[in-house]
Amino acid sequence: MSKVPLVTRRHFMMATGSTFAAFGLRSAWAQGGPRLRIDPDAFQPMPIAIPAFVPGTPADAQAGADVAGVITNNLKRSGLFAPIDPSAFIERISNPDSPPNFASWKQINAQAVVVGRVTRQSDGRLKAEFRLWDVASGQQLTGQQYVTSPEYWRRISHIISDQIYERLTGEKGYFDTRVVFIDESGAAERRVKRLALMDQDGANVRYLTRGADLVLTPRFSPSTQEITYMEFGQGDPRVYLYNIETGQREIVGNFPGMSFAPRFSPDGQRIIMSLQQGSNSNLFVMDLRSKSTTRLTDTPAIDTSPSYSPDGARICFESDRGGKPQIYVMPATGGQAQRISFGDGSYSTPVWSPRGDYIAFTKQGGGQFAIGIMKTDGSGERILTSGFHNEGPTFAPNGRVVMFFRDPGGTSGPSLFTVDVTGRNEQRVPTPGYASDPAWSPLLS
Amino acid sequence: MSAKDLIRSLRERKATVMSVTLHVLVLGWGLVSFSSRSMEAPQPDIIAVDISMDDTSTMTSGIKSGKKENPKPLADKVGETKPVDDALGKLDKKDVTTATSTPEQPKPTEKPLDKKPDPKPEPKKEDPKQAEKKPDQKANDPIADALKADAKKPPPPKQEAKATPPQPPKPKERMFDQSKIASLLDKRDPSHQAVTGDTINPNAALGTRTGNANAMVANWKGAFVGAVRRCFNFPYNDQNADQFEVDIDIQLRRDGTVAVQPAIVAVRGPSRSVGNAMAESAKRAVEQCQPYAFLPKEQYDTWKYIPMTFGLKDML
Repeated sequence: MSKVPLVTRRHFMMATGSTFAAFGLRSAWAQGGPRLRIDPDAFQPMPIAIPAFVPGTPADAQAGADVAGVITNNLKRSGLFAPIDPSAFIERISNPDSPPNFASWKQINAQAVVVGRVTRQSDGRLKAEFRLWDVASGQQLTGQQYVTSPEYWRRISHIISDQIYERLTGEKGYFDTRVVFIDESGAAERRVKRLALMDQDGANVRYLTRGADLVLTPRFSPSTQEITYMEFGQGDPRVYLYNIETGQREIVGNFPGMSFAPRFSPDGQRIIMSLQQGSNSNLFVMDLRSKSTTRLTDTPAIDTSPSYSPDGARICFESDRGGKPQIYVMPATGGQAQRISFGDGSYSTPVWSPRGDYIAFTKQGGGQFAIGIMKTDGSGERILTSGFHNEGPTFAPNGRVVMFFRDPGGTSGPSLFTVDVTGRNEQRVPTPGYASDPAWSPLLS
Repeated sequence: MSAKDLIRSLRERKATVMSVTLHVLVLGWGLVSFSSRSMEAPQPDIIAVDISMDDTSTMTSGIKSGKKENPKPLADKVGETKPVDDALGKLDKKDVTTATSTPEQPKPTEKPLDKKPDPKPEPKKEDPKQAEKKPDQKANDPIADALKADAKKPPPPKQEAKATPPQPPKPKERMFDQSKIASLLDKRDPSHQAVTGDTINPNAALGTRTGNANAMVANWKGAFVGAVRRCFNFPYNDQNADQFEVDIDIQLRRDGTVAVQPAIVAVRGPSRSVGNAMAESAKRAVEQCQPYAFLPKEQYDTWKYIPMTFGLKDML
């Protein structure tokens, strides 16, 4: 019989070729290659566009511009956002209910756009609404409506700012807050000091005392409607409670000798303060309802400037029991105090962050006054600003920004500043005159 | 010989059949096990030696149609301005009616309702990146024009000096008029990355703190990281920034546009809400800075799927 090739080369190739083809080509990436790593070169704020809010009626044009202006100012001052100059805007928003022309916002490199509307309703109330758009994906990130009395338009602007901040950073905002401080005026030798209250951006300043007596160290209650502070009246300085809404004042306790550096407990039920006893001062807590007082420290030293942790379980305070003023941490009911500051210099005015993660302080040494933070075990000390003469830090409610005052000395007077907990973005806080001793309220809303 | 004939003749020789079958099975098994094993080998980061001349020439070739006599000034820009396509302009007046009948807030300053007006306005899902590779003419023309206008100014008088020996004809001096330039300056806040023209200069990745030596090489990875980084602006201001990482998988089309929404694979860090916001910021960066037209088409298979990790190291 003739030799018939059984399997020709062609058949062989077909067989193996089809087996190969079954596997196809796969990208090496899909097999689990290393991920491509990307980190920013340096910090760059996020570009955002905030056009004037569209007026619901022609009379609302100014209000629409004002609201956008407050939001823009808030986001810019946070140091995290870079609002784009409105003169660069290509699209003019006329209908805030429909999506903007994303291509035109992308062209000016906006990564988010805020559009909104302000309408004075027929019942006299003000309606404000906004939407936050993601330019790259064309999606709405968040949107809200608010109705309020017209005089609260700033609060609405701050609330909207907080919404935007929270949506884009993942952190709670701090714009709908107030600051209580000591307003100072007059000649350097005879400064008139008044208790003052304002929005965190410097607006709506209100004086709570008339300046007849020296006032110091005002602090907010967690409920935000009360302030505690120290006033030098006739005789020894006393701790007072001031109700912001009613304007009523009362003395906290009736202690012999000086009482000072008061602070509220996180639940607002107690005030912790320093009571002077001879040449010492010790920490006491007073329950506001029962008026009972508890001693927390009993040392032949100056223990002062106490501050509660946000869970109310511990306090930090300043003590010179070891020689120089240092920071100590102790259970809120008293007991063993542990020193946590160990750097060169003396540490004072400690304040616990509302997030619980840092303690801010004033540090003095080598002729310099610095504001710094450290972790609650004393590690990770970091100076946020240094010079002459910085003092008295207070945290924003989200724990990311610290306000303090700086007194350049000489004939000039002190001013308020903010800086974030990385030491970046130092900003001056506008006040009508000189200002010192700020305290930041919790979020109002 | 057809398959039928083959099978018929094979039937007559069982031994041969068995042999062939076993061979095919062994070969098949070999293909399955060996091929996948070889693909499991992790791809090392490309070594400096592996420079493909193709990559270099494509990326640094520039735009052939660009105007040669006007050197594009190096300007600090956040990004190039691209002329808006007409097709996109038609899109913008999509009137989405939303039922904004939200209940009124009774008290002046109380907690606002978390009300998203329904339906959520859904913009048409178009690809905004039809725009192109036109050279950056719009932004540069005013500067070019100004330079031209300055060039027309009379040359300095010293050219009239006859005492000097005959000189070769001097080019007309361009007077640098600072006042004109000032009015043309980009008033936006400068970014750190200087960019000219439409194509991202891969050398922008040179010398970055976070780039390793491989990024300096003319392969697409360094250029791609540099390009996406321009749009990665996550607003974060705490000291534990380097504890946050986000894994994103992206898929690109051949023209360098993003094929689908980037997928968030993993989020790591001490705060869930911050990590999620960072993941959104990473997605935003990838989508905002497209198209990545400089990616080499002939290597499409290597950049069709790109798993990425975004971090915040050294940011602050």
